[in-house]
Amino acid sequence: MQGFVATCLIGISLGAQYALLALGFTLIFGILGVVNFAHGGFYVLGGYLAYSAVTYLGMPYALAVICAALGTTLLGFLFERFVLDRVIDDHLATLMLTLGLYLMMSSGILVVFGPQSPAFAFPLTGVIHGHGFFVPIENLVVLGVCIVGILSIYGLIYYTDFGRALRALADDRAVATAQGLRPAILFPAAFALATGLAGLTGALVTPILSLAPHIGDPVLATSFLIVILGGLGSVGGATVAAFIVGMAEAFSAVYLGGSKGALALFVLVLVMLVVKPSGLFGHRVRGA
Amino acid sequence: MTARTLSKRGDLAEAASVVVIAAAFVVPWLSQNPMVYSLANQMLIAITAAFSVYIMLRMNLMTFAVPTFMAIGGYTVAILGLRHGVTDVLLLGLASFVVPALFALPLGALVLRLTGVYFVLVTFVLTEITQLLLFETPGWTGGSNGLVGMPAVTLFGLELADNRAVLQVTIGLALAGAIVTAAVTRTLRQHFAAIEENELLAQSLGLVVWHYKAFGFAIAAGVSGLAGFALVNMLLTAHPTSFSALSSVNYIAYAIIGGKSSMLGPVVGGALLIWAGDVFALRGEYSQFLFGFLIVVVVLVAREGVVGTIHRLGVRVFSPPSPSRSSTVASSPTLSVPNAMEPLQ
Repeated sequence: MQGFVATCLIGISLGAQYALLALGFTLIFGILGVVNFAHGGFYVLGGYLAYSAVTYLGMPYALAVICAALGTTLLGFLFERFVLDRVIDDHLATLMLTLGLYLMMSSGILVVFGPQSPAFAFPLTGVIHGHGFFVPIENLVVLGVCIVGILSIYGLIYYTDFGRALRALADDRAVATAQGLRPAILFPAAFALATGLAGLTGALVTPILSLAPHIGDPVLATSFLIVILGGLGSVGGATVAAFIVGMAEAFSAVYLGGSKGALALFVLVLVMLVVKPSGLFGHRVRGA
Repeated sequence: MTARTLSKRGDLAEAASVVVIAAAFVVPWLSQNPMVYSLANQMLIAITAAFSVYIMLRMNLMTFAVPTFMAIGGYTVAILGLRHGVTDVLLLGLASFVVPALFALPLGALVLRLTGVYFVLVTFVLTEITQLLLFETPGWTGGSNGLVGMPAVTLFGLELADNRAVLQVTIGLALAGAIVTAAVTRTLRQHFAAIEENELLAQSLGLVVWHYKAFGFAIAAGVSGLAGFALVNMLLTAHPTSFSALSSVNYIAYAIIGGKSSMLGPVVGGALLIWAGDVFALRGEYSQFLFGFLIVVVVLVAREGVVGTIHRLGVRVFSPPSPSRSSTVASSPTLSVPNAMEPLQ
């Protein structure tokens, strides 16, 4: 029972991290129709930006996380505005561009920081004792920030004019543009928001897990998994699917061991793609 | 551009690709340098794998599943050699083609219903599943140890074990891959072009799209299998890391950077990028940067890739000025006006 509770807590905390990550990924697909292969790259970059800010500039960790999120936001904005936007309607071209960006980012990080994992520790340590289980404080802090982040994204998308504009563009670009919305500003902004989320997640999570140039690959694979499961472009779907995947990973790691859980998830996603490409929360998705 | 000039150009490119790969047989005859052998091996394997991407691109499908079928081909050969004592190179080559192709048929029935981004995602998921399956089935695949200690392949009882023989096997497999690719894309050029241009229209005009897509997928899988055999034969081991999900990015890069509209594209792209990777060998991390940069440049500036761009510039320089612009645009094969319509133009 205690093991069960502890595993649930791990699952929830993983799920919250994944949700923050996958929200960005699904936003980019839903609004721009772009499959962002560089999403894992922005996560890694966020981690390294925070690490550099703490180590070389001596910033407090909280400020470093904000800087990392802003840095990845800026890079995302520039990349969309000056590179991606030129071929925005060609799905395969945008996919290749983000792939190219990912290769450049990960090898750039490798060149600058070297292949070793730098020592980047969370500033808070300690555990909270429950009835027979322990929760590290850093996990709770990250969970809290992730939940605040997820709620802010929901607020932004569903209760502000900016969010309404983005949803209108996702729904029907031609009509939304005819109504006076400006994709030239809103597309880079949406892309920047999503890459900023990836950077924020990276800055928050890498001190707990690990920081190395190649950690973007599994992050990308997990984002794929979640977003396909939840339905490409669906915000609610991505959130629910993130917690499903987090729970499944936690329980399979504790009770099954090895990568059987991951294998089961991938097969589930394969079946999902074939049977119901619109995902768990299937509604009309953009014709890709 | 008419269907006739289009197919003539395609025929030339296909013949040239086969000839270039056949010409590689002079390498083991001319040189003893193990560096040259290694480079030639890598180039030919890369080109064969890129052919597989090329076949799928004929149907406007971008596949990430090349490592999956390379793994099936490579592990088939390793298991046949290690457990069943099969060493005949012709038999193994046939198995490395047929087994992945057979795997591709039921898989194709599942995944070929998807197009565009969804097809990309499902093939990416397939390669991830392949990795996990290779690790999770140690009884068959040796798990994380991989399979090692295969007996050397033989041709009519002659052992092909030294460096030169390994390269000759690779060249033979690449040549087989090139001939199959050329034969299929040549025979089905119009069909593939119709599917690439507008699948729905092709179907409504009576083309049984599903047959051609399944056939193309199976052939692409078989060609990948040949590359997998060559890779396992070169490395003397079948290991999951040889077939990683992100290695598919490289094969796509070879085909796209070389130029996806002609069969020479994968040949030029594979050779050029492997050579570039070798130049940067001491600073290996830069080669990935170079790949990424070249992909961005090709997508933004030179959509036709190296081969297409050279061809376009060649046409502009060498052809007499013509009143129509049609010779300089549309270098990708499109559904053309039937020949009977030509007199009307």
